[in-house]
Amino acid sequence: MEYVSPEGLRLDGRRPMEMRQIRAEIGAVSKADGSAIFEMGNTKVIAAVYGPREVQNRSQQISSHALVRCEYSMANFSAGDRMRKPKGDRRSTEISLVIRQTMEACILTHLLPRSQIDIYVQVLQADGGTRSACINAATLALADAGIPMRDLVTSCSAGYLNSTPLLDLNYGEDSAGGPDVTLGILPKLDKVTLLQMDSKLPIDLLENVMQLAIEGCKAIANYIREILLENTNQLEYRRGV
Amino acid sequence: MGVPNASEDLSSEMEVDAFRQLFPLRFFERHLAESIRPDGAVASANGSALVKIGSTTMLTAIKMEVMTPSFESPDEGCLAIDFHMPPICSPIVRPGRPAEASPVVSKQLSDTISSSRMIDLKELSLVSGKAAWMAYLDVYCLDADGALFDTALLSAVAALSHLQFPAVAMNDDGKIVLVSDEDGQKRAQEPVNKEKRKLTLKSIPFSLTCILHKNYILADPTAEEESIMETHVTIVLDTSGQLISLYKPGGPVLAYTSAIQDCVAITRQRVKELKSFLDNENSAMEV
Repeated sequence: MEYVSPEGLRLDGRRPMEMRQIRAEIGAVSKADGSAIFEMGNTKVIAAVYGPREVQNRSQQISSHALVRCEYSMANFSAGDRMRKPKGDRRSTEISLVIRQTMEACILTHLLPRSQIDIYVQVLQADGGTRSACINAATLALADAGIPMRDLVTSCSAGYLNSTPLLDLNYGEDSAGGPDVTLGILPKLDKVTLLQMDSKLPIDLLENVMQLAIEGCKAIANYIREILLENTNQLEYRRGV
Repeated sequence: MGVPNASEDLSSEMEVDAFRQLFPLRFFERHLAESIRPDGAVASANGSALVKIGSTTMLTAIKMEVMTPSFESPDEGCLAIDFHMPPICSPIVRPGRPAEASPVVSKQLSDTISSSRMIDLKELSLVSGKAAWMAYLDVYCLDADGALFDTALLSAVAALSHLQFPAVAMNDDGKIVLVSDEDGQKRAQEPVNKEKRKLTLKSIPFSLTCILHKNYILADPTAEEESIMETHVTIVLDTSGQLISLYKPGGPVLAYTSAIQDCVAITRQRVKELKSFLDNENSAMEV
């Protein structure tokens, strides 16, 4: 199966270094303290943050830090075939853990002791890169909720098919059996917080593919900053500043 | 909201009629913004709709699968309706602990849609006795701000009006398979639904939830109002004006028949509005 044509075009007509179109919206859920919708191509994810609020289970309360919880679930209709068990299965539990640990690393939890921050992510449409879209949406939602963070966390995936490093894999490319590198970084601090890879990749190529993913993450970070700035302008305008 | 709360100056003995005439705004729409997006809110589903009434947001998607019909009804397909309240929708929903309202609204929704006879299950049949459509209708609440059932029903109805059957054909093994757009398969048999790709909806049900408080009727409550005043009445009417369901699950206020009749009257008006709204959105989509 040819994933990169001889002219250098992928299955959906993109160039190997081209990301899918991104779109984000802040404040989608009025009931949440912070929320955001993040779209990467056909992958659409909604994140809601509730917190900081009182810890629901007193025994889990930490006296010096905030407790961060995360739940990832996919809507029944989000993937190609209808899913019977959208959450509680192993994949969802693993991704919930990954997102929680990634966000926990950048939230200044010591500033909010004895409290709880809940991050809920719901996948509405899945077309590859759901993990990355969830992390990006969670970052926006946390920013919307006003939770103090060290830096934004942005995430992007990259792969290697037909001897070409590819940026931002969609579902077709992801299931091709080639390596799939998901990367999460703190763009300003230039630190890697999440790095996951499946399948096999020669070690000398890892550097290339990782670099490509970092570029993707930085591009997303720029977009997220624009969105946040625009949102702040809107808030100022509404306050009559 | 900009409407001043003048009614609190008046005696609480005021008749509901007078209240309705003096404060029609409070009696009717509580929300300024309403929107429906039955325009393929979910691209991967066969039918979908995103509906927002005020802040309450519901996303519905319908997925169709082929199944063998049951022995007792070989000519009928099946419609499975499920209502979900994921933790994103409200601060009181916790993961692992589903909201109290979730199974209640789910059951109400299934009952209403089946008793309204909006859909003829025979339309979901493909090959009598061998194959029929199983339509999974999933309603996801993305923001729970009161009147959940009304918004859920509207979004289910909008998604059903947007539903398009996927094209299928029977392959050589006698199994029904989905046909992709490219002509890659021999079509041994063209099923009936090839020409009729959309569902015919007969009488469409629309609903309105009202809160009864002392002598007042508050239509279309927000979550805050619902939490303070517990007596609510949900009325479902169809487009021909017939009463499909009336639901008043207890509550501290005991209603006189006149109050219920007033609720039915407001619902009737609401049905007209929602119907024209849905028709506009559907015709806007076809353009």
